[in-house]
Amino acid sequence: MSLNAKRLWGVTLLGLAGILAVYFVAGPARFWLNWVLWFVFLLTLALGSLFMVALEHLVSSRWSVPIRRIPERLSTLLLPLVPVGMIALGAVPVLYPGARPEALANKLLAGKAFWLGLPFFSLRVALCFLAWLLALSVLVRGSLRQDESRDPQFNVRARRFAPLAMVFFGLGITVVAFDWISGLEPEWYSDIFGIYLFAGAFLSALSGTLLMVLHLQGRGRLPEVRRDHLYNLGGFIFAFTVFWSYIGFAQYMLMWYADLPEEVVWYQKRTQGGWLAVVILMGLLHFVIPFFALLTRDAKQAGRRLHWVAWSMLAAHLLDLYWLIFPVLMPNPVLSWPELSFALFFLGGAFLWVHRVRELGADLPVGDAFLKQGLEFRL
Amino acid sequence: MNSEKRQTMGPAAVLGLFDSADALLHAIPKVREGKLGRLETYTPYPIHGLDEALQLRRSPLAGMVVVMAFLGAIVALAMQGWMSAVDYPVITGGKAPFSWQAFVPIMFELMVLFATFTAGLGMLFLLNRLPFFGHPVLSSRAIRGITRDRFALSVEAEGGSLDPEAATALLSAAGAKDIEVLSLPARAEILDSAFILRALGGIVVACVVAGGLMFAAIKLFPVLPPMSHMQEQAKLNPYKPSTFFKDGHGMQYPVPGTVARGYLPMGPRTPEEANGLVNPLPRTRENLERGREAYTNRCAVCHGPLGDGVPTLTAAYNAKPANFVSEEFRKAPDGRYYWAIVMGKNAMPSQAADMPEEDRWAAIHYVRVLQRAQNAKDSDLEETKP
Ligand code: HEC
Repeated sequence: MSLNAKRLWGVTLLGLAGILAVYFVAGPARFWLNWVLWFVFLLTLALGSLFMVALEHLVSSRWSVPIRRIPERLSTLLLPLVPVGMIALGAVPVLYPGARPEALANKLLAGKAFWLGLPFFSLRVALCFLAWLLALSVLVRGSLRQDESRDPQFNVRARRFAPLAMVFFGLGITVVAFDWISGLEPEWYSDIFGIYLFAGAFLSALSGTLLMVLHLQGRGRLPEVRRDHLYNLGGFIFAFTVFWSYIGFAQYMLMWYADLPEEVVWYQKRTQGGWLAVVILMGLLHFVIPFFALLTRDAKQAGRRLHWVAWSMLAAHLLDLYWLIFPVLMPNPVLSWPELSFALFFLGGAFLWVHRVRELGADLPVGDAFLKQGLEFRL
Repeated sequence: MNSEKRQTMGPAAVLGLFDSADALLHAIPKVREGKLGRLETYTPYPIHGLDEALQLRRSPLAGMVVVMAFLGAIVALAMQGWMSAVDYPVITGGKAPFSWQAFVPIMFELMVLFATFTAGLGMLFLLNRLPFFGHPVLSSRAIRGITRDRFALSVEAEGGSLDPEAATALLSAAGAKDIEVLSLPARAEILDSAFILRALGGIVVACVVAGGLMFAAIKLFPVLPPMSHMQEQAKLNPYKPSTFFKDGHGMQYPVPGTVARGYLPMGPRTPEEANGLVNPLPRTRENLERGREAYTNRCAVCHGPLGDGVPTLTAAYNAKPANFVSEEFRKAPDGRYYWAIVMGKNAMPSQAADMPEEDRWAAIHYVRVLQRAQNAKDSDLEETKP
């Protein structure tokens, strides 16, 4: 992966031209579907990274200190996502039935009009971003400052703040799941849906972190991170592929059994026609392949295997979101120039950002009081 | 006999102590070069790098666990598939008899069960050879140190041969202290063994005590059946007394001189008289739908969903329900059906007690539909052509 800022700018601008054309040629609905897809995809990556950082402080984990800078850098993706999220609000009156005037005629939706309507929807988005940015500022900015100050007090502060950050994260990702994804079909609901999204978010953050570590190591940086650390990341990915499928299947099985009309239609839409192929592909990419690829002890330490598993994990998460969002309007999966333009724009933009934050702070959290313990970590 | 055997067995291991884990790790390569026997270490806590230093092979347990885990999943799938689709197919919740979705939780559970049992029992019995009391180290002087703060390295006999002098020299050259030569303890005869006797005695005592306590508990405390809400709810049970009515009966006689709606007694007294009955329900779409429901709910288990007399019950149901699509029953008058529903016949119980009259007649209409559907004439098709 060679990150070259100039080329990335080119790709992003090309994508920008493409997505503008999408709005006017393919129509606003297609535009907003794609926009929401990429917004949620990058948001889950950023939030998952923030979760990793907060989790480390919360449970005083030591092994992960040497790699903490990576999720810290990735979680700064939240900053460019603020405008992306604001723009995404434009999708609400177009895609979200609960926020449209017809909703009042529907008894089910009329009762939830206040919650689903644009004003409160926007307020929730704003509150979520405020909470996350606060967590970002305390945990990530504090950690960057500690590089210079070497103040061990930061570790204490971060541990005190971590439980609150977890609340922000937990409530926030549930709101993201309910508002942006299941809000597309407000008659359908599933309590477990937030956890389902969380599983995908955590997996993609782990994969992103792993890829960044391997990328930096490929350039001779981060030599201190050893196979033992990689093993833990690989182990987490392994465990959470199972978690994701457990949650996904539990949700499916309960709905399949109960067979309630307002619940099963959601699955019916998503298993008919071309979507069935997507489900199967997703089951393979999101569970079967990574599960078997990471089953043995050696596999979780082998850089090359981890490398492709992490890439395919990210792809699987994107596919998962695509499968959650697109069937709302598309009876069959679509992949054409609008989707490609969006991929160029958002991937280009995301890589540009990652390229920039790659140099954020030292590669190791050098001021951290527990860095030494983390470096000494052995399996 | 035991003592003779012990003498012929020779030294089983030579063991030396080290003061630190590092000293142990450094000594291992030196001792290994001597190639005197299998190396083993005993330490108070796990030490990183020991596996590599000893050049231990990977435990075969992982492979065994994977195989057994998948076996567990397959067994669960086969078991459930056979039970719910082959041996006793019962439609539940409108799902197909073989619904893999419903099987997954059990497959998952059995997979975990097989895997954990294989891991636990395999480790204990196959790899650690569990019913093996008296490892030589247990009766050594060194054991106290090993369980506290000493690190032991032992050279163990491989194939029955070990040169104790050479091993002692090698260990002390590598820096070991308190070197001991250990021999295999005599294996206790199973039945003589005080351990076995004591263990069995302990189990017997524990059973007696637990049984006695249980007995006392049952006598002392009122028995609390678990989860009895359904059984104990306030309701009328047939043939049970009830305080709800004055006469103390759960079941009440109908008010004299009245009949429940829809349950008027049948006029005819013989089957021949009944043959003259005419179906009072008009043949409307609504009545046919009602008939389908009544038939599916009340008759289809025995007479088959198509009315062909093939029950959806297992072979254990031995009776031969009438085949409605046969010549005889196509010609039979409605009254014969009505008589059968009200009076029952041999293995067919009467349905009159809880099947309202209109449902009976509607079901008969529906039987006619089934008969027609399976004996359609070419002209039927033409009639329905647009
Ligand atoms: C428990 C199983 C069972 C159910 C339920 C049942 N039947 Fe039957 N039925 C039988 C059997 C067995 C026979 C054959 C009796 C014999 O000829 O010995 C039979 C015979 C009959 C006959 C032929 C009687 C004759 O005159 O030969 C009719 C008509 C009939 N059933 C109608 C019905 C209808 C209508 C229903 C639904 C309301 C129904 N049955 C429900 C088991 C059942």
